[in-house]
Amino acid sequence: MSQNYWKISLYINYKPNQIMIQITNLKKSFRTEEVETLALNKVNMNIAEGEFAAIMGPSGCGKSTLLNIIGMLDNPTEGSYRFAGHEVGGLKERQRTELRKGNLGFVFQSFNLIDELTVFENVELPLIYLKMSKNERREKVTKVLERMKIAHRAKHFPHQLSGGQQQRVAIARAVVTKPKLILADEPTGNLDSKNGTEVMNLLTELNQEGTTIVMVTHSDHDSNYAHRVINLFDGQIVTESQNRAMGAMV
Amino acid sequence: MIKNYLKIAWRNLWKYKGFSAINVGGLALGLSCFILIALYIADELSYDRYNEKADRIFRINSDIRFGGTDLIMAVSADPMGATLKKDYPQVEEYTRFYNSDGAKLIKNGYEYIPEGRVTHADSTLFKVFTLPSILGNTATALNDPNTVVITESAARKYFGSVSNALGNTLETDEENGLYKVTAIIKDVPHNSHFNYDFFFSMDNVDYNFGNFLSHNFHTYIVLKPGEDYKEFSKKFPEVIDKYVLPQAKEYMNIASMADFERSGNNLEYSLTPLTDIHLHSSRSVEMGVNGNIQYVYIFAAAALFILLIACINFMNLSTARSAGRAKEVGMRKVLGTEKKALVGQFLLESTLMACFAMFLAIGITWLTMSWFNTIAGKEMVIGTLLQTPYLLVLILLPFLVGGLAGVYPAFFLSSFQPVIVLKGKQNATVKKSNFRNILVIFQFTTSIILVIGTVIIYQQLHHIQTSKIGFDKEQVLVVDNPGLNWEKRESIKNEIGKLSDVKSASFAGFLPVENSSRTDNTFSTEAVANTDNAFNMQNWSIDYNYIPTLGMEIIKGRNFSPDFGTDSTAIIINETTANLLEPEDPIGKKLYSRDESGLTQEYSIIGVVKNFNYESLRKNIGPLSFRLRNNSWASAYRINATDIKSLLQTIEATYKDYAPGMPFNYQFLDEAFDNMYRQEQRVGKVAFSFAVLAIVIACLGLFGLATYMAEQRTREIGIRKVLGASATNVVSMLSVDFLRLVLFSFVIAAPVAWWIMHKWLEDFAFRISMGWWIFIVTGALALILALLTVSYQALKAANANPVKSLRTE
Repeated sequence: MSQNYWKISLYINYKPNQIMIQITNLKKSFRTEEVETLALNKVNMNIAEGEFAAIMGPSGCGKSTLLNIIGMLDNPTEGSYRFAGHEVGGLKERQRTELRKGNLGFVFQSFNLIDELTVFENVELPLIYLKMSKNERREKVTKVLERMKIAHRAKHFPHQLSGGQQQRVAIARAVVTKPKLILADEPTGNLDSKNGTEVMNLLTELNQEGTTIVMVTHSDHDSNYAHRVINLFDGQIVTESQNRAMGAMV
Repeated sequence: MIKNYLKIAWRNLWKYKGFSAINVGGLALGLSCFILIALYIADELSYDRYNEKADRIFRINSDIRFGGTDLIMAVSADPMGATLKKDYPQVEEYTRFYNSDGAKLIKNGYEYIPEGRVTHADSTLFKVFTLPSILGNTATALNDPNTVVITESAARKYFGSVSNALGNTLETDEENGLYKVTAIIKDVPHNSHFNYDFFFSMDNVDYNFGNFLSHNFHTYIVLKPGEDYKEFSKKFPEVIDKYVLPQAKEYMNIASMADFERSGNNLEYSLTPLTDIHLHSSRSVEMGVNGNIQYVYIFAAAALFILLIACINFMNLSTARSAGRAKEVGMRKVLGTEKKALVGQFLLESTLMACFAMFLAIGITWLTMSWFNTIAGKEMVIGTLLQTPYLLVLILLPFLVGGLAGVYPAFFLSSFQPVIVLKGKQNATVKKSNFRNILVIFQFTTSIILVIGTVIIYQQLHHIQTSKIGFDKEQVLVVDNPGLNWEKRESIKNEIGKLSDVKSASFAGFLPVENSSRTDNTFSTEAVANTDNAFNMQNWSIDYNYIPTLGMEIIKGRNFSPDFGTDSTAIIINETTANLLEPEDPIGKKLYSRDESGLTQEYSIIGVVKNFNYESLRKNIGPLSFRLRNNSWASAYRINATDIKSLLQTIEATYKDYAPGMPFNYQFLDEAFDNMYRQEQRVGKVAFSFAVLAIVIACLGLFGLATYMAEQRTREIGIRKVLGASATNVVSMLSVDFLRLVLFSFVIAAPVAWWIMHKWLEDFAFRISMGWWIFIVTGALALILALLTVSYQALKAANANPVKSLRTE
């Protein structure tokens, strides 16, 4: 079994314009003691490598559930999810963890930084789990903090930073492993417009460098940064639209 | 409002059944342990306080150092009490006990029954001690010879009822052994330092009265109200000068006390308050096995610590659950509840839980009382708890514990800010608390100390049982010889000695276990004794077979032998005596001592026996010698039998043939030896139970704290998992913190335990050295237990779906 997911890990060598995410007839239901809620119902979608996709929809429509499945934090109840051509929908927790490491980066609305760790240590964390050497970690973290213009705050704790700064740290943590896919869940939801714009510009920059981005958002403004907007309603994709105005926003 | 609080409290208890069970169960265990130990301590402290004059009664002790031997005794000379009363107006009354003759055989129908709870007492006994009469006048009951006062139990045993006993006669196996029962008293309370059922008249004691140099009487004086016993003790030197010294000059060539003391000798008398005897006195010839104040302190500390550990758990577990109730607090605050009311609500909840725990604790105490009595050697009853002071404690304790345990969570919960908790962000503000870590360290430090202590007590007991004590205590049967003449006893011994399963047989009046006969004589290396050449030495009368039967070893010279006609004046000494006589070779040397008639006798040393412990291993081995003389109150048989039961039947039949109607009393030497350490065995068992309990409660607490920490760190664990942390990463992250606490506890506990046990071991002349491995193994055990306890919660947290913990919608 362990050989299996190592193999998958090795296979993730993308080719340009290849389909990175292929979701077919995907269903996700949650069961409590008496009620079963269908969060996603027969979702079909593809996301190509290098694409910037926005998922939109009202609260409770299943956006975050879909993002969690794409991010391999959760498994679908039914249907297929192929990542870089390989079925990952039924993988076990350990296999998903292995696959996530270094391949996927996450950015959350509430930043989700660890309060007890400094900025440097927060960003360093995914590299530790990749068992990277200390020197290598220091080099990579320093570089990414400089790029995010937050290096001068390296020794500060999250609560000593502004919301915008915290989200930049979160993005630094998401990209420090140079993942091919970044999943952003309402990345500007807790920020003012100035800091929000800064974060969106950063994501766009990363996308232009080749990183695939899937972003869940409520904001029409933010969705304009994406190449494509997927609209969800009651667990189903209702519309998909290509975004032509993207260039103007950057 | 209170109804609403009660409803919420009950529903919370019920919703988290497992948690509530741990919380209430842990507290109940702690409370139950506290109640048991409190009863135990109260019982220990109550000794002899039933006497109306308890605060004015004092026992006279004798401390004698002579010839390098120390005698620290609970007895004094027979004329001492009367002399003090005569010469000093401070003394209101005195009374004496004499029980050097040991057990008596008392006739019941056609059979003699050995009774150990017998003593001779002065007629003033009832003026000193409060022993209420049921029938008869105790004021005059022991005025005449051949009178006896018995307890209610003895009256029922021998006469069927109390009323039948009065005026009736008891028959013992002694000459002139008919005693008239002149009074029946209530049974002596169990918490008395003496426990007799028969008080025979002092007039029947066959003793050379008036001798200030022999110390054989337990003597008690009553001082008049207002007299200070310490001040009165200063009178003893006067008594020594006036009464003891003249006799010492006459018998032992002692010129003056100064001369006596210059030679390194000493004689002192002192007083022990009656209420101090049970816990503060451990002299030679005590009237029974006393307690030890050290153990009372240790148990009191253990009880308090266990109660504290249980309270700490209660606090930790309540706090652990509190994060889950943040929303309720937030809503109550939004709806207008004041902080005061919230504090009241949570205090009410914790007090209710503590009351519930107390009911459970009383149940546990009731169930475990007889077990505890067995291991602690007590006769406590659950009914004692109904007495007013206990009842008050039982009622107040839950409020105290509930308040103590509830105060932290109450203030902690009620301080939640509604805006923050309703946004679900309370967790971030409550986890940075060192207080709980300190509590865990305290719990584990206490537990580790208790475990190390228990292991060392057991090791010392094992050491006592297996160490080379200089004789072979296994497979030696000791049988009391019935009241027959010497020839018949010899015949019984010889007949049994011929049995195939009996390897050797000897008379054994003196045995190397406590509470056996002892004779202490002054010996000198020159014919005229003086303070420079004289020393005190045990002098035991043995026969030819005694040394091989007891498995002792002659290391120089030879044993007594019928081949040598001169052995009646020969003496065998132990190594300690040989060392006293160094550098000369002791074999062939002479020792001198006065016999019963006061004439000086010369003895020739023919052998040296390897040192053997003839008293508890708490004491060093003093000078001892053997002489070939008849002492036949008991016989010892070294046996080699697989079917001990049938051998015993054969031996009993032989005894019954010679002495029909006489009791057949036997014991194995190893059992008698073990009896010397009964107190330590009890302490070991009690300490073991407390150690297990402390560990269980501490682990419950740790479990609670692990639950709490896992709950507090749910979000962090989620983030780490999203970033690629494996379950192993998470488990080790959560466990390491706790293991660090346990390790820290060990660092504190190890030296404290070492110090306490070092003090305890100092009481033993023959003791183990504390091995470092005990500390390492205990530390490792604590770590493993902590790891196992924490692992459950850590694994649960590690395997939880991170999506749930990061959901912000």
